[in-house]
Parts: sequence; structure tokens; C-alpha cells
Amino acid sequence: MTQFTWWDGSLVGLYLLVTMIAGIMVRKYVGKVEHFLVAGREMNVYLGIASLAATEFGIVTCMYTAQNGYQKGFAGATPGILVAIAMLVVGLTGFCIKPLRDAGVITIPELFEKRFGPRIRWASGVVIVLGGLLNMGVFLRTGGDFLVTVCGMDPKFLTLMMTALLLMVATYTVLGGMLSVLVTDFLQFIVMSAGMLVVTVLILWRIGWSTLVQTVEQHYGAGGFNPFLHADMGVDYVLFNTIGAFATVLTWQTMVQRVLAAKDSRVGLKVYSRTSFFFVCRFLIPGLWGIAALATLAPEELRQLLSPQELATLTAQQAQDRMQLLAMPRFLSTFVPAGLMGLLVAAMLAADMSTDSAYMLTWGGVIYNDILAPFRKKPWSERRGILVNRFIVACIGLFLLIYGLWYKLEGDLWSYLLLTGAIYVSSMSTLLVACCYWKRANNWGAAAAIVAGAAIPVLFLVLEKTPATAELAKKIGPNISGIAAYVFAWLAMIVGSLLKPQQQPTNPKAVS
Amino acid sequence: MASHTFWWILTIACVLWYTFVTVYVTIRGAADIRTMLKHLSFPAEK
Repeated sequence: MTQFTWWDGSLVGLYLLVTMIAGIMVRKYVGKVEHFLVAGREMNVYLGIASLAATEFGIVTCMYTAQNGYQKGFAGATPGILVAIAMLVVGLTGFCIKPLRDAGVITIPELFEKRFGPRIRWASGVVIVLGGLLNMGVFLRTGGDFLVTVCGMDPKFLTLMMTALLLMVATYTVLGGMLSVLVTDFLQFIVMSAGMLVVTVLILWRIGWSTLVQTVEQHYGAGGFNPFLHADMGVDYVLFNTIGAFATVLTWQTMVQRVLAAKDSRVGLKVYSRTSFFFVCRFLIPGLWGIAALATLAPEELRQLLSPQELATLTAQQAQDRMQLLAMPRFLSTFVPAGLMGLLVAAMLAADMSTDSAYMLTWGGVIYNDILAPFRKKPWSERRGILVNRFIVACIGLFLLIYGLWYKLEGDLWSYLLLTGAIYVSSMSTLLVACCYWKRANNWGAAAAIVAGAAIPVLFLVLEKTPATAELAKKIGPNISGIAAYVFAWLAMIVGSLLKPQQQPTNPKAVS
Repeated sequence: MASHTFWWILTIACVLWYTFVTVYVTIRGAADIRTMLKHLSFPAEK
């Protein structure tokens, strides 16, 4: 029986009301496209930290990191440690990020045009939007799953919950753009952090550290504490996640957008280095919630999470993945007492809304700035630019609703996110590094890297889905195929660039 | 056993660091928002 009471509902309602008022109020400050997309580049360090943390922690994050904790124990938090290291290194050295911010661009593909020409800019925009929207496509349903399970609602309300949540987020994002996103991110960071900390302290106090450790020891042995010893992880898992962490920190547009909205590159680098440790918390804290679910939920309790109709449509592996995904919200629904349940739901709503709004705005910004660039023969007026941006964000909201309702996730969530992310970050990170630091890089190499980076993950997916080659795909595994995507993208960039006869770049001084 | 200690230290560090950052960012972030909106209202001040 869930602990969600009228008092909890009131707390959630109050949070939603304050967020909506704050988000809509700042729309009057939007006078230019630059205000809408990068907040007029007026973002300072602490607002940047709140925004980056709130953007990169949604319900979907909480779900897959808890699932990692449930399936892998403490070792499941390894990707978080790797992202934190990558972000700290990039923040301290300014690798790629400094020249990117100093170039004064609004998106990453805009920088590529200076070195590789307008076609590569357009193709990069398409790859980024495709990878980003597919990645974001599962956010709504996962968020709805969490809220319905925690609040003990009838699953038939899932669609209604998803639609209402999206409408609220879309309203303030369409009106205020990045300004609304930053202000609501700040409020959402506070609510989200308070909820996460209270629940974590409650788990450590009531379940106890030794119970959590014993549970992991019992289920996974030494592998539950050491990723190199875990049966499902190993060296290739750590290597793939290390490369992925650096590539993501450099080119995941929703992260980079915080650097591009910063007052200058110095502020952008501080935002990165000072937020880096949050990425350990982002994996370890929900990971603890997942371990607590493993410690307290009986296997028969897990089976009750799926209806007989749902079980009939899933393979044994898919059913297990789905049950493990829902284990953490199921655990929280009975563990968190009334009164605090409202704080937890408000915290998770805050996490989800901040992520959805930033992602909608970011992918919309790439569509406007890069994909539509060839169609702007003459510069558009600021008024028209803002109107088009608002229309694009609204369309993305509609796409998310349709995709979220239609797409059924197969396999575990983290693998889906890694695959859709790999389509984009392997090639884009290659292009960015080459653009900033390799003088011989040119559009031949860039085009080859884009094709190679996207082809490998897609090829692996085809191998996985074709019955005749499914066994081969299983033998290769997602980690090796993921590493291959990066290696082939790097090789394609090098070979493609060297094959092209040397000539002067279009604007050699544009990028340091 | 060393790995147990590692995760224990990391968990405590997460809770303490996150608590501190939440309080500090709440105070300093509010000032950042005020400055940002002020500059956007009166660009000449910038």
C-alpha cells in the first residue's frame, strides 16, 4: 500500500504552482533569439551548477542508475565516477570546451562550419537531433512509470500523467526559452536535492549500511564492489564507459549548452569542474536506492509489478529487466512515510521537468540554428526567429508524447541510452577534437567520421535483431561494439582527411 | 574489505558534499538569477 496522502498531494501541487509561475514570469525578458537559446550568455557559475545538475538528473536517470545498483551492486556506480573524472579533467584543462565557448557559437555544429563547411554543419545537426530525440524518447514513459508506481495509481492513468507533465513543461519552455529553463532549473535543483538527500539518509538510517553491503555481497560477491570482477562488466565495460564519459562531456549538447550560455569560457569551465562530483552522486545515490530495493523486496513481490497481459508479451529476459527497473519505485512506495512521500514526488517531478525542458530547448535550438540554416538565405528578424523556435519546441513536445506512448522499451534502459547516445557522441566528439586541435582535419574526414560513428551502432542493432546473427551480436556485446564505433570514427577522420588533397581551410584563424 | 571502505567513504562524501552544495548554490544561485535578469532588463549596465 502506498503512503501518498492528501498532504503529499498538496505539497506536490504547491511545487508545481511555484514552478509554473516562475517559469512563465521571465518570458518578458526574451527579446532576441540569443536570449531564447543561451539566455543572452548571462549565466553565472552557481546558476550554471544548479542548471547542469538539474538538467542531467531526471526520473529516467534515477531509474537506470537504481537499476544499475539493483543489477550490479555498488560497482553499478562506476560510470558516474568516470563521468565525474572526465568532467573535472575537461573543466580544469578547458580541452575543446574553451575554444568552443570562445568561438561564440550557439551550437556545436555551428563551430564545425568554420572548419568543415556548411554541409558538415547540417549533417552534424541531423545526427545530433536524431540521437538526442531518440535518447529522450523514453523519458516520458519512464517518468510516468515511476510516478504511477510510487503513488500507487492505476496504470491506466499513465497516459494522463505523461500528457499533463509534458504540457506544463512545454508551456514555460515555449514562452521563456533558456531563461525559463535556468530559473526553473534553479528551483527544481533545490527541491530535487532536498528530496534525494532525505530519502538517502532515511535508507542509511533505517536499513543500515551493513545490510546494504551484505545484500550486495550475497548477490554479487566481490563483483558487486569491483567493476573488473563483475560478470556483466569487466575491462571492456570500463573502457567503453571511460571513452563514452569523455565524449559525452565534450559533445552532449544539453551539457555543453551550459558552457555556451555562460558569461565567458572561464565561467563555463568553473561550472564543469565544480559540478563534476555531482555525477558521482547522480549514480551512487539512486544506486543505493536500487540496492535497498534488492535488500527488502521478495522475488514474488517483484513479479506482482507486471500484469499477466504484460508478462505474456515479454521474453523472460525482458520481463526480468522490466521488473528490476520498477523495483526501486516499488520499494520507495512502501518505504517512504506519508508526509515525506510528497517531498519525494515533488523532487522527482522537479528532476523530470528540468530535464525535459532543457532537452526540448536544446534539440530545438540545433534544429533552428543548424538544420534550418540553409533555408535562411537572408537573416530572419529576432521576432520571427523566436516564433520559429517556439514552434519547434512545441513540435518536439508533440513528438515526445507520441513516441513515448508508442515505443515499448526492450532490454535494460542504460543500454538503450548508451546505444542512442553512441550514434551521436562517437562521431561528434571525433569532429570536435579534430576541429579544435588537428590542422589537417577537413570535410572529407568529417563526413567519413559521421558515417562510421553512426553505422557501427546501427549495424550492431541489426545483428542483434536478426535471428541468424543474434548469437554473434551476443558474443561481440554492446561494449566492444561501442568501442568499435569510436575507433572507426577516429580512423575514418584520419584516413578521410589524409586522402583529400591539401588546401587552405575556409577560415584558418576561426578556431584556435 | 578495502573496496567496502572505498564505497563507504564515497557514500558519506556524496551525502556531505551534496548537502553543502545544495545550501551554497541556493544562496549564490539566487543572486546569479537577480544579476542575470537585471542585465537583460538594462543591457547598458553590463
